[in-house]
Amino acid sequence: MRIGLLPTERGGSYRSVIIFLAICGILMSSLPVIVVTIMSLSAADTTGFPPDALSLRWYSEVIAMFTTKDANSARSVVVSTLTSLLVEVIVMVVSTGVCIPLAYALARGETRICSGMELLFTLPLVFPLVILGIAFLLIAESLRLDIRIWRIVIPHVALVLPFVLRNCLSAMSGIGIELEEAAVSLGAPPLRAIWDVVIPMMKAGILAGLIFALVISFNEFTITFFMYTVDVSTLPIWMYSRTVSSLDPSTLALSVFIIVADIVLIVLVDKLIAGRANLF
Amino acid sequence: MPSDSHLHIQNVSKKFGDVDALRDVDLKVERGSFVCLLGPSGCGKTTLLRIIAGFETASKGQLILDGTDISDRPPHKRGFGMVFQSLALFPHMSVAKNIGYGLKLRGVKGVARRRRVDELLDVIQLPDIADRPVSALSGGQRQRVAIARALAIRPPLFLLDEPLSALDAKLRDSMQIELRQLQQKFGVTTVLVTHDQHEAMMLADQLVVLKDGAVRQSASPSQVYNHPADSFVADCLGAANLIDVGAIKGGAVDLFATRVLSQKPHNDGDHMLAALRAEHVELTPITATGTQPVGTVSFMRNLGPSTECVVNVQGKDLRVRATNVQKQGLDVGAQVALTFDPAQVSLFKAV
Repeated sequence: MRIGLLPTERGGSYRSVIIFLAICGILMSSLPVIVVTIMSLSAADTTGFPPDALSLRWYSEVIAMFTTKDANSARSVVVSTLTSLLVEVIVMVVSTGVCIPLAYALARGETRICSGMELLFTLPLVFPLVILGIAFLLIAESLRLDIRIWRIVIPHVALVLPFVLRNCLSAMSGIGIELEEAAVSLGAPPLRAIWDVVIPMMKAGILAGLIFALVISFNEFTITFFMYTVDVSTLPIWMYSRTVSSLDPSTLALSVFIIVADIVLIVLVDKLIAGRANLF
Repeated sequence: MPSDSHLHIQNVSKKFGDVDALRDVDLKVERGSFVCLLGPSGCGKTTLLRIIAGFETASKGQLILDGTDISDRPPHKRGFGMVFQSLALFPHMSVAKNIGYGLKLRGVKGVARRRRVDELLDVIQLPDIADRPVSALSGGQRQRVAIARALAIRPPLFLLDEPLSALDAKLRDSMQIELRQLQQKFGVTTVLVTHDQHEAMMLADQLVVLKDGAVRQSASPSQVYNHPADSFVADCLGAANLIDVGAIKGGAVDLFATRVLSQKPHNDGDHMLAALRAEHVELTPITATGTQPVGTVSFMRNLGPSTECVVNVQGKDLRVRATNVQKQGLDVGAQVALTFDPAQVSLFKAV
């Protein structure tokens, strides 16, 4: 690996130190993924590491779980996966739908108000997640409304908003008012100017926000654990309940599927939006 | 009352809180003329341009375009082409899309739009850059694209906010000529804001000098240059020396032992200032006979076409931009007399 560095006083460089740190970082972040992937290939019935023999039987088990028609557990894994996907899509749409106009208004407004609002939207992040879950549960129960999937969507949106907002705000910061004025001077009504100039220029920020929303919502466990019901439950909840009863490698195989699905989704969003010259 | 001029800025005032950005500005702009708003920063020139464009509303007064009051018309319905100081080209669009944007908004489709864009690219002498992204252009090219984008919509009024300030001196100079030629070619009424007096002289048919939100003088550049309305205008345009010449007597003052007649009537005893341009003074060496020395040369620098000098006269520095110094063999420390035409000196009452 070539690393361009300034020489130290003694004529050497910190090359080896940097490579060591980089390897540490990569190991720490990818070790769990590597372990899970290896264990999911185990031929044994238990999750011992390292596995004695390798096989793909747990993968076919997972596929069977999704395709079996009548088994009770099969139905629930399919339903919770679909719920997860639906929640994720709604969270993406709602959070960006809220954050684009909000970021625009904050960026064009007073700096003081902007930083205050940003802090306000960051609050859910500094709150302990367990307490946040209890709070949302208390609110949902006291309202006594049958809001079905929204009981999970709303906490997810709250959790995702700071990430999406921050990304949209930083995208807005490079877009000067005179760009809009230029569009207006050429005959665009103010909203059209925003649509033609501001939104396409925010594209990268919106995209980053969408990916955050997607991944956080799809993997969210703590708050969802308080909010799920028999009818509305997500995939992480299903996986947890399964590992509590019996930790067999099929859950691990499933998580490998999820990792792959996450990557595919991210690439898809990236291609759909950034791949073209214009957002719309 | 219908106005005979193209654009009439009628008694426009603008207040930002307690600050008067513009006070009772009244200007008439002839059709097809090039108007330069000149003044130091904070004089209100950009505010006035933004009021014309519609991005600011005047606190008082009207804008009359061809006899119609457009003060309340929103900016996107005015259809004035504008070039911004930062140019504000759309970075996510190609050159052709930038130029065609105003046409697209006007419903000009396909071939017609493409033809108009090509026509403008020809006019700005950049026929081959249509599909390039804006980020791949040089400073001068961006400048031209911004101008083409504003002119593509055939605006009744062409507004420019210090458009050349980001260019280096040489490019700015050639762009000034190009801009003037483009404006003549399209015959579009143009208002340009600048703080560069050379640029203003180069471009304007009508030069408007502003200070503290008020118009100090509005006339042709040569009129403003030769007959400045006050000492501020004289100082603003070119290197003028403002010299305290004491009280006026019999309509004339004494400037370096030369009698200067006032063009305007003044009361005897009024305290006067004389504006003497650096380029209107020649230095004369003191020979053995005749002329009395007036000052000592304290600085001299040959700039090629002329020589920039500072002459110390009675403890005060006088700027001189002479053309014959080299031939006369003058140098720093030389005793000199000053020659100038009294008709080129402007006199103002000291405030």
